[in-house]
Amino acid sequence: MRLAVEVERFSWRCPFAQRDALREVSLAIPAGEFTLVVGPNEAGKTTLMLAIKGIIPHSLAGRHDGTVRVFGEPVAQKNAAVLARQVGYVFGDPDAQFTALTVEEEILFGLENVGVPTSEIGARIRRASELTMISDLLDKPPYDISGGEKQRVAIASVLAMDPEILILDEPTSMIDPLGKDLIVDICGSLKRDRRMTVIVVEHNVEAFAPLADRVVLVRDGRIEREGAPRTFFDDVESLIDCGVYPPQVTQVFARLQRRGLYAGPLPLTDEEGVAAGTRLLQGAGRWR
Amino acid sequence: MIRAERLAFRYPDGTPALDGVTLTIAAGEFVALIGQNGAGKTTLAKCLAGLLRPTHGRVVVGGIDTAAKGVMKALVRRIGYVFQNPDHQLFNTRVYDEISYGPKNLGVPERERDAVVREVAAVAGVRPELFSEHPFFLSKGLRQRVAIASTLAIRPQVIVVDEPTTGQDYRQSIDVMEFLTRLWRQQGHTIIIVTHEMPIVAAYAQRVIALCRGRVLADGPTREVFAQPDLLAQTFVKPPQVTRLARAWAGAGVRADALTVDELVDEVVRVAGGERAVAVPRAGRQEPPAGPGAQADA
Amino acid sequence: MGEAQIAKKTLLGMVPADSPFYRFHPVGRMALLIFLSVTPLFIDMPEVNLGLILVTLGLLWWGRVRMQQVRRYLPLLVTVAIFMFGVAFLAPGNRTALTPIRSVGATFYFEPMWWAFVSYCRLIAMLFGAILYFSTNRERDTLVALRSLGVPFAVSYVAALSLRSAGMFMEDFKTIREAQQARGLDLESLSVVEKAKLYTMYTVPLFAVALRRADEISNALFAKGYTLSGRPAGGGRRTDYLRAQYPVRARDWAVSVGLVGAFALVAALSKTTGVFSDHLSPLRAVVVGMVAAR
Repeated sequence: MRLAVEVERFSWRCPFAQRDALREVSLAIPAGEFTLVVGPNEAGKTTLMLAIKGIIPHSLAGRHDGTVRVFGEPVAQKNAAVLARQVGYVFGDPDAQFTALTVEEEILFGLENVGVPTSEIGARIRRASELTMISDLLDKPPYDISGGEKQRVAIASVLAMDPEILILDEPTSMIDPLGKDLIVDICGSLKRDRRMTVIVVEHNVEAFAPLADRVVLVRDGRIEREGAPRTFFDDVESLIDCGVYPPQVTQVFARLQRRGLYAGPLPLTDEEGVAAGTRLLQGAGRWR
Repeated sequence: MIRAERLAFRYPDGTPALDGVTLTIAAGEFVALIGQNGAGKTTLAKCLAGLLRPTHGRVVVGGIDTAAKGVMKALVRRIGYVFQNPDHQLFNTRVYDEISYGPKNLGVPERERDAVVREVAAVAGVRPELFSEHPFFLSKGLRQRVAIASTLAIRPQVIVVDEPTTGQDYRQSIDVMEFLTRLWRQQGHTIIIVTHEMPIVAAYAQRVIALCRGRVLADGPTREVFAQPDLLAQTFVKPPQVTRLARAWAGAGVRADALTVDELVDEVVRVAGGERAVAVPRAGRQEPPAGPGAQADA
Repeated sequence: MGEAQIAKKTLLGMVPADSPFYRFHPVGRMALLIFLSVTPLFIDMPEVNLGLILVTLGLLWWGRVRMQQVRRYLPLLVTVAIFMFGVAFLAPGNRTALTPIRSVGATFYFEPMWWAFVSYCRLIAMLFGAILYFSTNRERDTLVALRSLGVPFAVSYVAALSLRSAGMFMEDFKTIREAQQARGLDLESLSVVEKAKLYTMYTVPLFAVALRRADEISNALFAKGYTLSGRPAGGGRRTDYLRAQYPVRARDWAVSVGLVGAFALVAALSKTTGVFSDHLSPLRAVVVGMVAAR
């Protein structure tokens, strides 16, 4: 099994900070796996992502210890162009990452930077914008479209570079429910059709847990828990305590389990929940 | 308390944001404005708070027409607005000055001001040790609390909060919402929130106003609005997962409009004959989870 | 939107969705800007400048620019006129050396009035040149033109970035004003000094927002494989898709060279022979004749 990301006893401290933002974090992510990173704010989730992308230590000053490897090679030894091709990073606030005056320019900026031949760029823009459903926006200024569209443009501009690893840092926090669904759909098709290594940092666990192969809880600069989503969410109270809100359907069945009414794997989606609940209620003889 | 009549708003470039909104919000309500991006939620909230002047129609808050001249000082005592991004509303270099800025504008004498600052800071969870800090260096959650405290310091009857939970983790979201609930329940404030988080709306708001393309599509008690998924779908909003599950199980006698995890678990326990085995199937809740032919009462 | 798109938004207004201008390379269009807006600096004769304005109006029509949009500039034209003629009327200079004209109950002086007219024609001609440019060119056309002329990428990029930041800055400014209002600030009741103080207060949130953004943008640039310090690390050259979309054809060269040549010719003629002097203006001769006849 090829590892996409290996983090080894990695610590990091910002200048002037009292304590380490990350404390000896170790994490290995196999290629093609979908990882959901959860945890309270300021626990170090984004810092960990920045370290995988190489923004730490390349463009942020601070003290670090340990190594982060992407496909076996330390990121500290890779340059911006190589990292841009390997690791795509979508920031939480799409407005803050736009640097161009039209959507098309926003997408092609990165392609030009890493030296993609101009003959290839048109096709790449087309493919990325079709996947993210923004083909009709290419000509518009990026500040003149809705929040959900902005986020999809941000994803398109990263996907166009054909990264092997895609990091999404709170991709749905600023957008409406429909916009959220579209982003989740895009992530789903990346997982299914491209077998891309995707890492999503999110508070919206309900939307992403069904896609995840693995959930990682970051707290206090450490990885506190890690596991497959079906087992990860069984201790609802302690998760809520650290700012993580498991899918409501999972919460319902975890609670029913505790009250002796349900035994079996915890459901993650509406469909699984409806089916499990129907069985339960039929078993109790309540269904006509 | 608030009355909006045939409210319309167009942006300077002609794009309509609100198109004939008429509504009344009574003192002591806890209201959530929901809808898609661009549906007009924030524009409506800003019109109610007198920050935007409607193109047509009018808004009266506590007897004051928001479009009248020179009413801003009187208006802010009736309705306060907390912006989404705290950075936009922190003008001062010290937390203390920030909280006392509103009362100062309104000419509250210094001694009274100090008492107000200390009181609202305590309510909002801003510790006195932070008073001399620069707001820029505080965490986002704290900056938002300073922003809320600064608005509270004016003592407005109505408090409008734009996206109180965006970018917050669940613990922080709960903290903010519990805090707003205390203001609502214990101090009698009217609360209006603008949000995309349906579980939050389900757990805290009494009344939901769903907007779509500048119009009110649904307006009513939270439970009733969320019990009409077809209507909600037109505003591109889904009810919380719990409500979706409850509808699917309604055939077994589970009440179809459960709003929170607690409620649904209790329902299932009751229906399945668990600890509280008083199975009283509710009449009229027996239909399978098809469309109930939802009607808006907007 | 629904209906067919007829215009595209730019930071300064709109450009038509389709225009014959788009058949020319952005460099050629920039040469036209230079010709139309800089040439009048070398021309005093008002007839020539008025002719240039007519040519520009013709080009606006040919370029399918909606007149509605040009009309937006009308208040500006009127304001400039009032200002320039007003100055000539109120402060004509040394009256003894000037030719008085008595009309509509006031005394005007010919020379300052004429000079105001000459300057006004020049200014309006320049202005129309710029209106034509910004009504038919989007920001990206300007970028392509600059890059085609050999301006380094980083320079044109920073220019675009600051244009974009200016837009965001205005947005922030609006929100901050609203936030001030929400805290009981009554702008109407403030004195000038208090207003000035207010603006210093705006800088606190503006800086806070800008600082956080700067951080995010520099991270975003790195993430996209670019460092502002210079060429992307990693050896390879960056490619230029945008420029590649606009091949420079022979016709574009001809147009650009022709326009810049015409500009150089006018400038040279003006400096050496004075053929564009306002003293040679037939209009002036007519007006002087009328003044003398009174």
